[in-house]
Amino acid sequence: MYRALHISRRVAFTSRQGVVKVVRRRLATEAAIPKKKKNIGRRILWVTTGLTGTFYVGSTFAAFYNQAYYDFFSEKVPLGPSMLEYAEKHNWDTVTAAELLERTKNAAIATQRFVTDKINGTTPAKEPEPVRKVSVESQVKVIKSSAPKVVDHSKFETESMVAEAKKEFETRTEKVKEGTSEVAAVREKVATEVKDEVVDLVKKAEDALRTETPAIAETTPAEAPSKSNGKPVYEGALPVGFEPPPGYIRPSPPKKEEPQTPEPAPPAPVALPLVAPAVSSFAVSEPIIAQLAGTIDNLASFLDANPTAVPKVSDVLETAKTDLTALADRIEKAKEDERVVLESKLDEQTREYTQSLLELEMLAQDKLDSQEDDFRKFHDQERAKLIRDYRAKLEHELQTQTELINERLKEEVIAQGIELQRRWIRDIKVRVEQERGGRLGKLEELSSHLKRLERVALDNSTYLDENIRIHALWSAVRALTSSALSAPVRKPFREELRVVRHIASAREDPVVVASLESLESSDVPDVGVEPFADLASWFSSDVAPKVAHVALVPDQNAGVLSHLASHLFSGLRFRRTGLVPGDDVLSVIARAEHYLNEKNLDSAARELNQLNGAAKVLLQDWLDAARRRLEVEQALDVVQAQATLASLLVV
Amino acid sequence: MPSSEDILGQKYDRCLADFLVKAGVGFSAGVVASVILFKRRTWPIALSTGFGAGAAYADCDRSFNPARIPGTRIVSPSELAPKPVA
Repeated sequence: MYRALHISRRVAFTSRQGVVKVVRRRLATEAAIPKKKKNIGRRILWVTTGLTGTFYVGSTFAAFYNQAYYDFFSEKVPLGPSMLEYAEKHNWDTVTAAELLERTKNAAIATQRFVTDKINGTTPAKEPEPVRKVSVESQVKVIKSSAPKVVDHSKFETESMVAEAKKEFETRTEKVKEGTSEVAAVREKVATEVKDEVVDLVKKAEDALRTETPAIAETTPAEAPSKSNGKPVYEGALPVGFEPPPGYIRPSPPKKEEPQTPEPAPPAPVALPLVAPAVSSFAVSEPIIAQLAGTIDNLASFLDANPTAVPKVSDVLETAKTDLTALADRIEKAKEDERVVLESKLDEQTREYTQSLLELEMLAQDKLDSQEDDFRKFHDQERAKLIRDYRAKLEHELQTQTELINERLKEEVIAQGIELQRRWIRDIKVRVEQERGGRLGKLEELSSHLKRLERVALDNSTYLDENIRIHALWSAVRALTSSALSAPVRKPFREELRVVRHIASAREDPVVVASLESLESSDVPDVGVEPFADLASWFSSDVAPKVAHVALVPDQNAGVLSHLASHLFSGLRFRRTGLVPGDDVLSVIARAEHYLNEKNLDSAARELNQLNGAAKVLLQDWLDAARRRLEVEQALDVVQAQATLASLLVV
Repeated sequence: MPSSEDILGQKYDRCLADFLVKAGVGFSAGVVASVILFKRRTWPIALSTGFGAGAAYADCDRSFNPARIPGTRIVSPSELAPKPVA
């Protein structure tokens, strides 16, 4: 039990505590954060919405006026294309600023009408405005439709025109505004006057009240100043579209304009005639008057409640009441006047604008027409000029082309001429060749005959030449033989040898040339050869006895004594002659002498060449001479044989 | 330059001249020596003449056979062959 109690108490305690906490938390959160959040969020929402809307609408209009921006807006900005589509569907692109202005003006007029009608309590026909608006719109449409149709690029012109019109409109609207502001000023003036009066009245009433009931007066004056405090500060525009909040008795409305002025007429008369019904006619349009009336009534009722103050206040209240009614009347009158003036002015201005619009339209039309004519003329001129230029260009081109073609043709003709000439020359050549054919054949025959003759002649001449050469060779050989061999004295025969060799080389006989060359390379031709007679006598008289003296000298190690002995004993030996056999020196000498006697130098030289030792030494010179002579003889024999052979070949 | 058949005669001539000169020089030297040294004896004259004649002979022999130089002997291969066998 104790436990249960404890628990329950605890629960209660905790629950109570939790509730308090929750409440506290709620209070805190609700009081501080959510309200702020709401306010900020709403503000942000509104601002963003407004900005976004402005941006999109403005961008759409800007896009219709600027192609670049149109592209940018349709490509880059999200929802841009759809926005543009919507705008195009609703013909925003054709809407001009002037038109917009016109529309807004119309709307303003319409609302004003509506308000004034409401104020007057009547509902005059709203038709004239729409009708007018429609007419203006239709005119504008006509302009719009006519302008693009005539010339597309003269749109700019019309735009400028429209801009002018717009400017004019603006100026006019400004004027209107001025007018309205004037009216407003007048109204203000009236209002201030009224207000002053009312303030005076209120002051009086207050004074009266203060003197009577200072305690109670605290409440009412406190309210009155609070109301009047907001009034003098405010200087606003028309209260046209204003709808009063009906249920409030004392709303501290920091509202606009005159209606606030009559408010400070609180001191209602005590004489019990209630002000509210008297002013009820204004209650709808001028709620503050009604409120004031209510206040006065309240005051009156208060006075009723405190009858002691009645005599003092009733007088004041009476005057206030009269004043209030007068004020109400006056306000009414002022409003009426103002409305009448405004209406008349508006009508006048509307007429004016319509007229000016029409004029401008006409002017624009005229300008467009004249521009179109100008353009057409200019276009024709340009076309004619272009045609002329182009024709000239074409002619020039044609000329150059013809020149080129002519040149090419000329070149071709020349080339063809050359080709033809070449062909003709070839043909002529061929024909000439053919013509010549027969003659040439004869000529060839003749030439062959001639050649044969030539060959014969040449053969003959070669034969003759050969003969002459052989003859020359023979003569030379004979000359050489006579000078070299058969001459009585030894003499050089180089010259004769040269002649022979020359002739032989001319005949290109290798054998002769070889033999003569070997002879010529030695010094024999310069020295010459010993005649045979000389050789023979030299041997028999000089060489042979001395050789015979050394016949007994041994071949080797022969000293003075052996020589002396040989010399001594060889004289004692018998002299042998003729072809004697034997290898000893004396026999050889005898044979050599025999051969020499027979003029056989060759055999004699051969015999003597067999000797050795001292005999050979003694025979050296003679053998050399004999050998030289034999060489020459042999060479000459060869040459003679060749010459003989040649002469035999020639014959 | 004489011809080849006159070479021997020339040699004889030169040998004779040389002999005469050398024998004369020897003779005169012998005479002088015999007079001065040998109290007019004859043998020094003969000796020196013999020296001269010998020298001339040696020269002459050398002229006839130039290959014969004293102390040398030219041997043919045919002669040389059997010697090593012996």
